[in-house]
Amino acid sequence: MKRPRNPCAEIELDLIAAATGEADPVAERRVQQHVSGCAPCGGDYQRYRALEQAVETWRRAPAPAGPPAAARRRLEERLEEIRRRTVAYRIFPSPLGNILIALSERGVSMVEYLGRRRDLAHSRLGRMPSVDPVEDGAELEALHRELLEYLEGKRTRLDWPLDLALARSEFHRSVLRATAGIPHGAVMSYAGVACEVGRPSATRAVAQALRWNPLPIVIPCHRVVGSSGALTGYAGDKLDLKERLLAVEGVAVAPRARRICRESMYVRYPGDDSYCLPSCPSLATVDHPHRLVLFGTRQRAEAAGLAPCTTCRPDVHPIAS
Amino acid sequence: MGQQPFETILEAHHAEIYRYLVRVTFRRTEAEDLAQETFLRAYRAYRTLPPDANLRAWLFTIATNCARNHFRAERRRRRAHEAVRAVRSERDDGARPDGQTLFNEARERLDGVVARLPFKQRLAFVLRKIHELDYEAVAASLGCSAESARAHVFQALKKIRRDLTELPTMEPQR
Repeated sequence: MKRPRNPCAEIELDLIAAATGEADPVAERRVQQHVSGCAPCGGDYQRYRALEQAVETWRRAPAPAGPPAAARRRLEERLEEIRRRTVAYRIFPSPLGNILIALSERGVSMVEYLGRRRDLAHSRLGRMPSVDPVEDGAELEALHRELLEYLEGKRTRLDWPLDLALARSEFHRSVLRATAGIPHGAVMSYAGVACEVGRPSATRAVAQALRWNPLPIVIPCHRVVGSSGALTGYAGDKLDLKERLLAVEGVAVAPRARRICRESMYVRYPGDDSYCLPSCPSLATVDHPHRLVLFGTRQRAEAAGLAPCTTCRPDVHPIAS
Repeated sequence: MGQQPFETILEAHHAEIYRYLVRVTFRRTEAEDLAQETFLRAYRAYRTLPPDANLRAWLFTIATNCARNHFRAERRRRRAHEAVRAVRSERDDGARPDGQTLFNEARERLDGVVARLPFKQRLAFVLRKIHELDYEAVAASLGCSAESARAHVFQALKKIRRDLTELPTMEPQR
């Protein structure tokens, strides 16, 4: 007896599924039932089975040749170039106005004061031809939190991996590295940093390098002041911020005069592991007075690992605040 | 953070993605370029990929999009069809073991039939039947539902069956 056409059309998809091993048990049973009574569909079933086997053999056959090594190398070079150029950034609010933080694959590569602005187009990062900034977040959130803690005085260190690639020259990088070594709560003069990098006459060049510091706050260029104690300058025209950062770290700035009070700060000569009163007789003999590191408080000096000098005994006769 | 480095992904998937693109474009140079584009795009988006994402399916999706963009121009599609022959003869150039000959013939016939499939069916068929992605992943690649992904594959199977009036014998019988 001949079956009507309809059941065959209806079962076609299930039949393909069954023949290619993709049918659920119910459909499978239905197909088997139909096929056992319908020769044309039985033939189709066998043909799909054969096709599935052919495809399976094809799939298991040795794969065609992979990409040529040259293609792989070209791709790796492109990736490397993109990787070098890509920085993730976010713009966050802070007590010092909006701050942009940028992270390359090697570390934090830029911290930028944006004031009231909130867009990349007006930032220094956005104008740098050597980088592709990508707005991104997760890792930067944690950095932002730490920065806020720092600005609130709840944290004295920002132990971030840094990438100095955006500094303008190798000399600038050496100045930045020397500056990174000035401890929290201390200040040093531009001339002192110049000595540190082995270019004692390059005071102005040091000031320029710090003006273009791509990582303010993290590389504490606010801790570098004039030899006279004058704050001198900060990030172009942001002297207020320098004053606030120093205040956070316990370095007193004389109001209006815009200078630190050198005479009421503790003193350390580079290389010494002790700190002195400014009147200590041992300081009378130092060669380069501008190389002194000055601390706002004894606590900061001791936090930097220094012991009180045994001659002037700052621990017994602290400076009256 | 917590993600495997991108080099590992490149190492693990570049060859497979390239082969996929050869299978759907039939041109090695185009497949090379498209594979490069796929991984450059993937690199840019990698940071934002959720940690539990199916990486392999994700790469296939990007590769499929690259291939489809590439083929959107009608002219290019025609050129690729013409290229099928070229690739097949290119394959024959390589010296192969003798026992493989029969099998190669069969495979090439299958290849030829697959090449004549409409592009979307070809993508669906290759993703499902050669690279064995599940229908969810095939659907994600094609930007359709799992149901229509399945329909594309079945349409492809129907067409292949019709075109291969005589199925290739895959078992060497001599």
